[in-house]
Amino acid sequence: MSKHVAPEKWADALAGRVSLDERAQMNAHAAECDACKRAQIRVSRASDTFATLRERQAPEQPWDAIRTRVTWAVEKERRDTERTTGSVTKIPAWSISRVFTSRWTIASLAIAAAGVGIAFGVHHFRAAPQAWVATGGPGSSSEQGSAAPAKIVATPANVPGAPLGGVIVRATGNADTIAIDGAHPQDLFAQRLGTGSVIATAEARLDVQFGDGSAFALGPSSTLELRHFDSHLIELRVDGTLDVEVGPRASDQRFLVIAGEHTVEVRGTQFQVRRGAAGTTVECRHGLVAVSDKAGLVEVAAARRVTIAPDETLGGEHARDRVVPLTVDELAQLADATPMRMPVWTDADTLFADSAPLTVAAPDAKARDIRVDGIELGTAPLAIRVRPGRHLVESADREGRFRRVGWVDVATGPARIDLPAEQPPNASAAIAARKAQLVAGIDHARLAQCTRSIAKSGLSDTYVQIEIAIDANGSVGFLNVLDTDLPSATSACVRDVLAGVRFGTGAPATFRERIDL
Amino acid sequence: MLPRVKRETDGYAALEPALEADLITRCRNRERAAHDELYHRFRRPVAANLYRVLGDRTDLDDLVQEVFVIAFRGLDRFRGDARLSTWLYRICVNVALGRIRTRKRKPPAIGVADLDSTAIDPSMIERPEQPDRSLERQQDQRRVYAALETLAPKKRIVLYLHEIEGLDLKEIAYLVDSNPVTVRTRLFYARREFYRAISGDAALDPAAPPGDDA
Repeated sequence: MSKHVAPEKWADALAGRVSLDERAQMNAHAAECDACKRAQIRVSRASDTFATLRERQAPEQPWDAIRTRVTWAVEKERRDTERTTGSVTKIPAWSISRVFTSRWTIASLAIAAAGVGIAFGVHHFRAAPQAWVATGGPGSSSEQGSAAPAKIVATPANVPGAPLGGVIVRATGNADTIAIDGAHPQDLFAQRLGTGSVIATAEARLDVQFGDGSAFALGPSSTLELRHFDSHLIELRVDGTLDVEVGPRASDQRFLVIAGEHTVEVRGTQFQVRRGAAGTTVECRHGLVAVSDKAGLVEVAAARRVTIAPDETLGGEHARDRVVPLTVDELAQLADATPMRMPVWTDADTLFADSAPLTVAAPDAKARDIRVDGIELGTAPLAIRVRPGRHLVESADREGRFRRVGWVDVATGPARIDLPAEQPPNASAAIAARKAQLVAGIDHARLAQCTRSIAKSGLSDTYVQIEIAIDANGSVGFLNVLDTDLPSATSACVRDVLAGVRFGTGAPATFRERIDL
Repeated sequence: MLPRVKRETDGYAALEPALEADLITRCRNRERAAHDELYHRFRRPVAANLYRVLGDRTDLDDLVQEVFVIAFRGLDRFRGDARLSTWLYRICVNVALGRIRTRKRKPPAIGVADLDSTAIDPSMIERPEQPDRSLERQQDQRRVYAALETLAPKKRIVLYLHEIEGLDLKEIAYLVDSNPVTVRTRLFYARREFYRAISGDAALDPAAPPGDDA
């Protein structure tokens, strides 16, 4: 064979796709040609590498986080599609024709319209403060807030809005102290909140979702009345702390929060209202809200706060000076207070049917952070609304690291998982466990290589005494050779072998160990 | 029924056809538990496939996410003419192909393959081996992926599926949505280019026909 051998031919030969004669010719050529010999070796090594790659497994991934992101993406896309196609709200043609061809229905509608008109007038007479909030256009917002807004004209609704349903999605703290309409419900998560509902939290915080991207959370020792709760008007009266996050709404829907004498008109997306003995405080995380009373109005932009003492009003030229920026810490607290929302909202009825409460009970009084399916949801004890299926519950340990509590299967009814009592750290047990890991993890083949030369020279029964510190992650803090009868090079080699031992997560430990070689 | 890809599930995720059909039905009915089951069953094989194709783990979690989002989105259109695992494998191949193309346009800031990262990630540490052998193995792997990087994306995928995954032309044709004849042509040129790159000596090719980027 005078020509060089094509490199892929060597791969064919290795795979047995070359005849014996040709193989012999190739080998004969390679024996005389350095380049072909080199190529043969490299191709052979590449083939061996293919075999090792075939068995290669991927490193561990944040599986729960990936699953959460997948679920969110798929559900969001499905909801958007349904919203675009109108598959959820589509009304069959026959129902419309039947309604409008009935004389009795027409008469009923007329009476209902008259009633609504009266009710609407009564409501605005009762609820509206002196200075009503105008629909804020983009030009009405300002960084510092404005003290002289335009006169307000409420957008009248000609027909009553469709009633909204509030679904309880999380209860944190002592949920038994929560009262709805004056009673402590046996099954809190079965309660459907609507116009007229009154919620009182004593030692708990309650999160309620009422739309895709819209939710509120009532803080502890607070009272909330849902005075109006429909697609045209949401009016909440709060005494205490209320966190609100509002998703995109219909242009004709108004959203008001009344705190004592002050009215907060929602124009943005997330804010907190606190009403107490010290007055009313409104903090806006992002978006824009307008706070008004009988004397005036200020707008509170993102990352700003306005505080109004009980004896103060929003009138006067200096009203806008009350709006101050929030600090980074205050913003972070506001972010932490974001109401919980489920990413699978279509409507309240569907959510009621397709979800169930999961209670995470804590045996001890110590608050422990809880993560469900990779999402931090607050401190135990808590109860949340989840979709049916298998959920992973994790709780934070003493060092703040999340440990798996277990999987819990949620069907259509309430489910419960009890956190195990946290064990006090046991130093001796931790050291024993780490020593066992050390002994099991030593690569004896490498160790034998280290001591091979001294063993050949007849030196045996040697030892190394080490001191080692291992943290909870399994990382080695330090590894020192305290004493040994080995030569320094051998000792260093042994130390490298010991440093190669991999420890898993567990209790941290620092100990000394004598290793006989 | 199209051929079942031999090593699609790495053994532990294999599912009886009846159970698989039931799982697909439940997924189509938007049962969250079924979605979870599918995810838990196939997440590791999917990640392993992507990892083997690409040779590094940069954004591996994003790619796994992309595979499952495409899978859940497309389950309604899954005709059942292949096993679920094969279908998922096909999605993996397409996602990896897209990734390779993107990477070719925007080369990574660091090396082609982060195979050395095994040294710093405890999760990747398997049974300790001889240090020199480990180094040699890493060098070989790096050389293989470096040679793969020189190929056009389509050729690279075909070569990977044939040489590393050990699939035949028909299986590869299904996975890359092509026909076996095209795959055979692509594979011919891919092998020639790859082994020439591996051998590191272009002069060794005795009779090189004109190149093709099929």
